[in-house]
Amino acid sequence: MSKKPLSLTIVPMAVIIVSVFVIGIAGANLLGVWKTTNTKEPVKIKTGEFAGLPNPADIRGSYTWADVGKAFNIDVQHLLTAFGATDPAVKVNTLETIYTKETLPAGLEIGTGSVRLFVSLYTGIPFTADEGTVLPISAIAVLKEFGKADSSLIADAESKAYNPAAKQQSAAAKAPATTTPAPASQPAAAAKPAETATAAPAKPATTATTVKAVPTAENPAPAASAKTTSTTVAGTAETHEVKTGTVTGKTTFKDLKDWGLTEEKIKSATGGKIGPDSAVIKDWAEPNGLTFSELKPKLQALLDAK
Amino acid sequence: MPQKSAVLKRKNVRNIRHIVQAAFFILVAVTATVSVLAERGIKIPIPDASLHAICPFGGVVSFWQLLNVGTLVKKVHESSVVLAVIGLLLSLLFGPVICGWVCPFGTFQEWLGKLGKKLFGKRYNHFVPKNIDRWLRYLRYFVLAWVSYMTIITGKLIFQDYDPYFTLFNFWTGEVAITGYIALALVIILSLFVERPFCKYACPYGAFQGIFNLFRIFGIRRNAPTCISCKACDKACPMNIEVSTSKVVRDHQCISCLECTSETACPVPATVQMLALPGTVQDSFKKKSETSEAAK
Repeated sequence: MSKKPLSLTIVPMAVIIVSVFVIGIAGANLLGVWKTTNTKEPVKIKTGEFAGLPNPADIRGSYTWADVGKAFNIDVQHLLTAFGATDPAVKVNTLETIYTKETLPAGLEIGTGSVRLFVSLYTGIPFTADEGTVLPISAIAVLKEFGKADSSLIADAESKAYNPAAKQQSAAAKAPATTTPAPASQPAAAAKPAETATAAPAKPATTATTVKAVPTAENPAPAASAKTTSTTVAGTAETHEVKTGTVTGKTTFKDLKDWGLTEEKIKSATGGKIGPDSAVIKDWAEPNGLTFSELKPKLQALLDAK
Repeated sequence: MPQKSAVLKRKNVRNIRHIVQAAFFILVAVTATVSVLAERGIKIPIPDASLHAICPFGGVVSFWQLLNVGTLVKKVHESSVVLAVIGLLLSLLFGPVICGWVCPFGTFQEWLGKLGKKLFGKRYNHFVPKNIDRWLRYLRYFVLAWVSYMTIITGKLIFQDYDPYFTLFNFWTGEVAITGYIALALVIILSLFVERPFCKYACPYGAFQGIFNLFRIFGIRRNAPTCISCKACDKACPMNIEVSTSKVVRDHQCISCLECTSETACPVPATVQMLALPGTVQDSFKKKSETSEAAK
């Protein structure tokens, strides 16, 4: 007698599908693995001088100001003042709706990348900002008082900072007969510290700068601050020139090879791994368990030693 | 009279899948909408999660990074991995049931398809010449390979900017790239001519799920001795699979919707059924002639 194979009809199929989802999700919930939001704890830097410290590069747009303050031990009031925000419970990605493309000069961006840059300059933990990522001038005032990164880096960030007051003055000077109203979306707080603001002249893109972090009396240095930091402040898009032999956030593996580094030398910096020629090193690093801020000085040193 | 009640019964049975589909569609739409509203400070007392958090494909493309580095791709959460594992389990057992029963974007295309059927009648879903259509069906594997490669390289959800599913539930949020709107518009227009065009030609998760059709445990089986070759199963299949010439359906495009079975389309009882399959991949190449001989 042949055994009749097990058959399934529509009703049992519907029951099975719904049950598997319900039981699966409930089980995951019980085990504590059903997480639909981030933990709001940035990954730690794994190697190098800053090992164990939270990585500013891992700040997500979904973090609130309070999350950033907690993760990096920053007074949340300093963050709010720096970015003209008022509510610590608001997500940092709202910056992109405040500082829209229409508000900012072409090629500049104030968003989550700016928060990462600010945190880096505030704490002295290295981070490489994308090209065009700038800070509002109100952030510079906070950094001048509390920032632990070298003053030259803060000055560099200041030279590129977005100053809405200067923009208005410039517009008024160009068209004295007409009044130029401030954009509706312009944050009031960002426009306030005009007395501390300087004009933001276009400057060529800077390359990585190795500096000593300077602890202040108000803010004793964290473990990281006495160490050598490497923070790159992005230049403006209009003035950016690709410098041969300079590792930036847009450098690819092909660029490194074109500049004379062999695969073996690249692997010596990356711990034996290497990406495809077209891969941007900065993008490739994180999924491969590396941080660009650590990788960059190593690669730069190899290039400089050539 | 008994014939009329049989037709009614078939319709009711078929509606069960449609109810399950509609329930998942509403669940996903509400969850994703409440999540966006919560981000904007509008709190609604319903559990919320971003669309990425409840998409199993995010879990699939995160596997490589999860295994190698222990982290997830940006915007993907642990819940996506849980759903990916659930999807994997269901696929191993029943094939791509996620596509046929759960995926809200598949449901959305089916709804548009109903309009297409009204507009074009029998011509609907038969506009693309078979010899071209056959090869176009493999396009989705290129999409899968490209999306997987780019996600591994960049650590970002690279498909979001082109994903019509993401666009459908986020078109009003300002987070959608222009390419996403174009993709959604294309799918909407094509759905009026072709059943589930995105699933057939471009869906990377559908491609991934489709692979399981080759070795799933339960599958669609046609009983050749009782088959009357009326081709009702072929006509009912939204994915244009020729069920009437197969002994076991192992076509990579099957979505396990059960529309072809003796419970719904097939007029002969116990002729097209979802059964635990003893067969192998080779069965998918056995055509009518062979199976008829076997029956003799």
